[in-house]
Amino acid sequence: MDELKQKKLLIVDDEPEIRKMIEHFLRKEGFMRIYQAGDCREALELCRSIQPDLAILDVMLPDGDGFSLLQAIRHISNLPVLFLSAKGQDEDRILGLGLGADDYIVKPFLPRELVLRLTAILRRVYIPHTPEKRPVFQLDDRLIDLEAGTIRHDGTNIPLTAKEIALLGKFYENHNRIVTSDALCQAAWGDDYYGYENTLMVHIRRIREKIEANPSRPAHLLTVRGLGYKLIVKEE
Amino acid sequence: MEGTSRIIKRFVHATILISLLLLALNAVVLLIWIGSGISDGASPSAVVHFVSDDLHGKRDAYAIAPRSQQLLEQNGAWAMLIDSKGYVAWKFQLPAELERPYSLADVAKFSRSFLDDYPVFTWEHPDGLVVVGYRKGSYAKYQHILPVGWVENLPEKAFFLLAGNIVLALLLSLFIGSRLIASIRPLTSGIQALGADKPVQIEPKGVLANLAVSINHVSALLQQKNAALKARDEARSNWISGVSHDIRTPLSMLLGYASDIADSPELPAEQRRLAAIMRQQAERIRSLVSDLNLVSMLEYEMQPLGKKPLRLSAVARQAASELLNNGLDERYQLEVELGDESPQIDGDERLLLRALANLLQNSIDHNPAGCQLRIQTFFDPGNQACHVVVSDNGNGISPDELPDLLELPYASKRKRPRQNGHGFGLPMAERIAKAHGGKLSLSSEVGKGFCASMELPALSQKEKSKP
Repeated sequence: MDELKQKKLLIVDDEPEIRKMIEHFLRKEGFMRIYQAGDCREALELCRSIQPDLAILDVMLPDGDGFSLLQAIRHISNLPVLFLSAKGQDEDRILGLGLGADDYIVKPFLPRELVLRLTAILRRVYIPHTPEKRPVFQLDDRLIDLEAGTIRHDGTNIPLTAKEIALLGKFYENHNRIVTSDALCQAAWGDDYYGYENTLMVHIRRIREKIEANPSRPAHLLTVRGLGYKLIVKEE
Repeated sequence: MEGTSRIIKRFVHATILISLLLLALNAVVLLIWIGSGISDGASPSAVVHFVSDDLHGKRDAYAIAPRSQQLLEQNGAWAMLIDSKGYVAWKFQLPAELERPYSLADVAKFSRSFLDDYPVFTWEHPDGLVVVGYRKGSYAKYQHILPVGWVENLPEKAFFLLAGNIVLALLLSLFIGSRLIASIRPLTSGIQALGADKPVQIEPKGVLANLAVSINHVSALLQQKNAALKARDEARSNWISGVSHDIRTPLSMLLGYASDIADSPELPAEQRRLAAIMRQQAERIRSLVSDLNLVSMLEYEMQPLGKKPLRLSAVARQAASELLNNGLDERYQLEVELGDESPQIDGDERLLLRALANLLQNSIDHNPAGCQLRIQTFFDPGNQACHVVVSDNGNGISPDELPDLLELPYASKRKRPRQNGHGFGLPMAERIAKAHGGKLSLSSEVGKGFCASMELPALSQKEKSKP
């Protein structure tokens, strides 16, 4: 983790007060090597000289826009880039991400959000060998291990099918929240709900048989009539 | 073009009618003219007939009745009786040079034409031949010698001639009519294009060249007006998006530092609470600014739509789930009633979700004491439209206030000031429906709840099969 705090970060924004604020938040989070640039020319110079590990780019700059700056940077470096823009339009977001930016944050933003997204990018790019693990969680006396694809209960292992893993993964991702039938079908079959109603119901029943003490009176995987289902997981 | 054949038809009818009328008029005029011109007084053959009838007596003692004498005098004519031997047996004002014997050849010659340039007419008499002569140059004599066969089918020939005339007139009128239509067609299509607000450029030629020039001029004017209007709309929308852009940077700092203070555990709780309020208010400004921007983009049709085939029921489920997931107070109950799942619409999912969220939030905001919320979807096969209806059984509003609710806040059309909320919710939902080619209709009565119904055109079966 501390390894990440050693990374060199470059903030490019024409507004010095914004640069100062972002630097303030990042320092508070423990980042130490922070550089600032107010325009494209300065940013490119710093990219060459200090070779930052990540850049935060504003879209509107006095001598060009962030998108063309990103293209220029790409000629000298492959560093990850996070766009920070006062333009919230969708096409700007798509353009930015399409050019190979790693994320796009719209101003005004909460500092916590910026730090979280920035850390996520750094971790993804600079900490290798962390294949994404599927979640493992406890439901009463059962351990749901989606990584191994089994449920451990009373010393026995109950295997899960691929679709059940996909559905449980989606449920856990949104635990304690309603997941619509549409989203579930999208997750399991990549198709919309229409035509899959019965198939989905069959799979839900099988999952309940595996995770519920009393499948006909579910305590964890609840039906929300007309909308979808909800997985109740007690927070530790 | 349906109009063209109608114009041609009427044109042909008019032409036939006009030619028939002309024909009838000609016939009438001719008859009158013949009647008055030729039978001016007694005709020569009638005169000679009378004279012959009225000539009585013996050789060298002929007398003529006064009636015939008067007739001859009136016409300035002379008369004589030629006996069977060729001598003049009786005469009346006969010019002296004509009193001579006549051979058969003479008789045959003058009865067909003229006697010494006098137009003469003959009639038989028991004693010979009565000859009446008129002044020189007063009558023309024509001989018509026609084969009997030709005369016999004269009515047929006349009929065919008439029919031929009618056909010719018809063909001519068709020709002229189609020429006219051909020159009018670009003008009519030009006017139709004007109605459809498309640019028009007609080549000015033919009789109606002036009209073409005027239509081109009107089109150019309309295009200019449209361009000016569009430029103004764009300027307004750009101004709003510029203002909201410029607000975002200072707002970032407010939100950032307020949030920083609120999350600093080393500060006293009271200060953190105040900073949290500042953060909350900054977030309100943030959503207000982005709503303002979205509504202005929708209002001026500049909001790009990420359209894809959607099932409205799925969007309704998503909207309901989000409302429940964000913690719906227990004063409110949400009921979901989704109809036919199969019809699809072509829509922007994010915007439609936003519209439904606005409608639900509207019901919640206006019923602080709680109410029953209801989302319904159904398909109307009649006009091929998908409907989503958000209703409540709460306070409601009087029907005459409903149109106000769809006007933008601060708009001059809005009669009453907004009551609570920032007032963008319903206008935004209405403009989202409009951007999808649909509409939002409201209905309510005081004390009887509020109902907002969004109608969106369904994708046809053909469009649905597209990938």
